[in-house]
Amino acid sequence: MHIDMFKAFRQFVTEQGVLFYYNGYLSQPIVAATGEALRGRLEADNGSGKVSRKVFSTFVEMMQNILHYSEGGSVDLNEKVPFGNVAVGRLGERYYIVSGNIISSQHINRLRDKLETIRAMSSDEIKAEYKRKLRGGEQDDNSKGAGLGFLTVAREASEPIEYSFEALPGSNDALSFFYLKASI
Amino acid sequence: MEDLYIAPERDKPEIDFKFSQHHLQLRGESFPENAVAFYAPVASALMNYLGETRNQQIAVDFELRYFNSSSTKILLNVFRMLDQASSNGNTVHLNWHHDAEDDTVLDFGNDIAGDFITLKYHAVPSRR
Repeated sequence: MHIDMFKAFRQFVTEQGVLFYYNGYLSQPIVAATGEALRGRLEADNGSGKVSRKVFSTFVEMMQNILHYSEGGSVDLNEKVPFGNVAVGRLGERYYIVSGNIISSQHINRLRDKLETIRAMSSDEIKAEYKRKLRGGEQDDNSKGAGLGFLTVAREASEPIEYSFEALPGSNDALSFFYLKASI
Repeated sequence: MEDLYIAPERDKPEIDFKFSQHHLQLRGESFPENAVAFYAPVASALMNYLGETRNQQIAVDFELRYFNSSSTKILLNVFRMLDQASSNGNTVHLNWHHDAEDDTVLDFGNDIAGDFITLKYHAVPSRR
């Protein structure tokens, strides 16, 4: 990167209130280490209260979502090592957490249905659905966790969660970027 | 039976189950990559202990500061096991330590108390 580009990048990051940005391969030790770094950053920014905990919880769910479901990296897609991007920042009083990773395009419809259902819920409905799924024995075959990741993110968020899909150039529509955003 | 101790890690809680003293403690953070695998030996030791324990006062100190979604699901099963221990004449005292500023941990504790009514639930607020 040219130093002028880095200046522009630094300025952009400052304007967007970015507190933390990760771009790279993911593993559980990286989730644990970056989580600890983020928590320190949040406590310096906001204290150790409720909001910091919500941001941290959302960050962990998004990172583990990438860990479990991403289709590998931007360097070599044949290498199935989890790869993704996560940014955490604050604009005014609102924190945001955004994640991006590559998924197989065949999952788009299923994910969109799931996310739209959650987006249409009030916060009380999200809490009720979370409780119901937590106690339910139903197992989602596509899930590697409790199947509660999106609901947990939605429960922590102060606004409906946002998402976007974007076809990955050169993949013949087989792969897509998946972006997810929560505001707290 | 033997006590169970698991040292904490950045993403895993300290498990201190002093079965010999009927005192069980969980403390710290819980967001392992595979919560099912992490809690399997914990649940199995607990099941053995409860299987051979009759008419006891059992104290449980729950001091997890943060637990992710997959840990939450498994913890629910742990409390279900403790609830069923009452059928052998045991009384389980669940001390639910939670940050006074944060209602997420307290909400989960209140849900547990509502679901598993034999547990003697005590919410214990703390300030960091």
